[in-house]
Amino acid sequence: MEKKEWTILLIILAVFSLFFFLPYNSEWFNTSIISGLNLLNDYAKQHVLTCLVPALFIAGAITVFIKQNKVLKYLGAGAKKYVAYILASVSGIILAVCSCTILPLFAGIRKRGAGLGPAITFLFSGPAINIAAIFLTISVLGYEIGLARITASILISILVGVTMALIFREKIEKGEFFMQEDKKLKVSNKVIIIFFAFMIGILIVNGLQINKTLKYGLMIAFALATIILVMIKFGKELRDKWLNETWGFSKTILPLLFVGVFVAGFIMPLIPESIIVNLVGQNTILGNLIASIFGAFMYFSTLTEIPIVQALITKGMASGPALALLLAGPSLSLPSMLVIRKLLGTGKTLIYIGLVIIFSSMAGLIFGSIV
Amino acid sequence: MKIEILGTGCPKCKLLEANTRKALEETGKKAEVIKVTEINKIIKYDIISTPAIVIDGKVKAYGRIPEVKEIKKWL
Repeated sequence: MEKKEWTILLIILAVFSLFFFLPYNSEWFNTSIISGLNLLNDYAKQHVLTCLVPALFIAGAITVFIKQNKVLKYLGAGAKKYVAYILASVSGIILAVCSCTILPLFAGIRKRGAGLGPAITFLFSGPAINIAAIFLTISVLGYEIGLARITASILISILVGVTMALIFREKIEKGEFFMQEDKKLKVSNKVIIIFFAFMIGILIVNGLQINKTLKYGLMIAFALATIILVMIKFGKELRDKWLNETWGFSKTILPLLFVGVFVAGFIMPLIPESIIVNLVGQNTILGNLIASIFGAFMYFSTLTEIPIVQALITKGMASGPALALLLAGPSLSLPSMLVIRKLLGTGKTLIYIGLVIIFSSMAGLIFGSIV
Repeated sequence: MKIEILGTGCPKCKLLEANTRKALEETGKKAEVIKVTEINKIIKYDIISTPAIVIDGKVKAYGRIPEVKEIKKWL
């Protein structure tokens, strides 16, 4: 048999033994399965259609309509430092980067562009603040922690970047980014702005606490307005491009998110409440440190940090440590640390990880004491 | 002719490779298609966004997936 056939056989055997040995009759297992399905049901009903789907369409639109070159120019070698930092800190939203493009961009900005500091700022904030992550946090965990997450992510990314640049002075290699010409869009800027406003309108209305009929009415109105605008003003080519990008994001994010939501629901009844309450139940320095260290090492696929934090909050996690985990979580994980180490070397990587953990804990501590 | 596909292995890079192979097939031209996945090698091309297609050492496009029609013109 060929190697591929053996792999298939092994997978079948693994699945079979999984079903063979499943502890169907034990109570904990049944409770966990139900809890996992419950959480999935909750997401399907409350968050997928009203929050995630619009956010994915917006992300798709961003990749089509935002001219990357214009943004990247300000991260190039000639750019003013403070502009580069500010832009890098919000680039996660503007560029709608997927996780696989973050490292090439990071390496590019560091070696050929604005240098180590803005590159680090980008490395931290790129995965942390995308449209979907912000609005799903608000939809699932509430406004306060959602807004705290975006503000703190931006601030921390700049602080970590500036600190790294102060500690390590790196020379930038000569060279310019290779710029390709942006294709001219056939749509006026005004139409694009209205188009984005309609879509963001859906997400904002979703977050409002108003009468349900009014809320869904408004959301449907915004959605219809978007569709009509697209049908009238966009050509077929542009429309297809937008839908393709959106589909690309959905394909990579959604399946893993559903698995993540189920896993979060499944482990929820299994987490001993006393441990969570003892470790991260209070807004203490230690509690925040534990949460951010856990977040920094643990791997979360895109957006899955949200159901995990939700599960931990129901088990007694305080709001400060919850924010700390959300901040340190998406940007770092053990696998990503190893890759970053290849690019930066051990010393710089360790300092970077340390800074992320310290600043995330501080943000958690401050947020926990305000709320 | 030497065609390099730059990318760390995300779905988009695979799509670009597929488009490239299709373009080669349709034009009947022969070329060596190499995938470059090492990040340090990728940035040597002065690009900052993947996937990218490099033909005989010249960057043709990056940060997007050119269509088969477009790739054919470069071959």
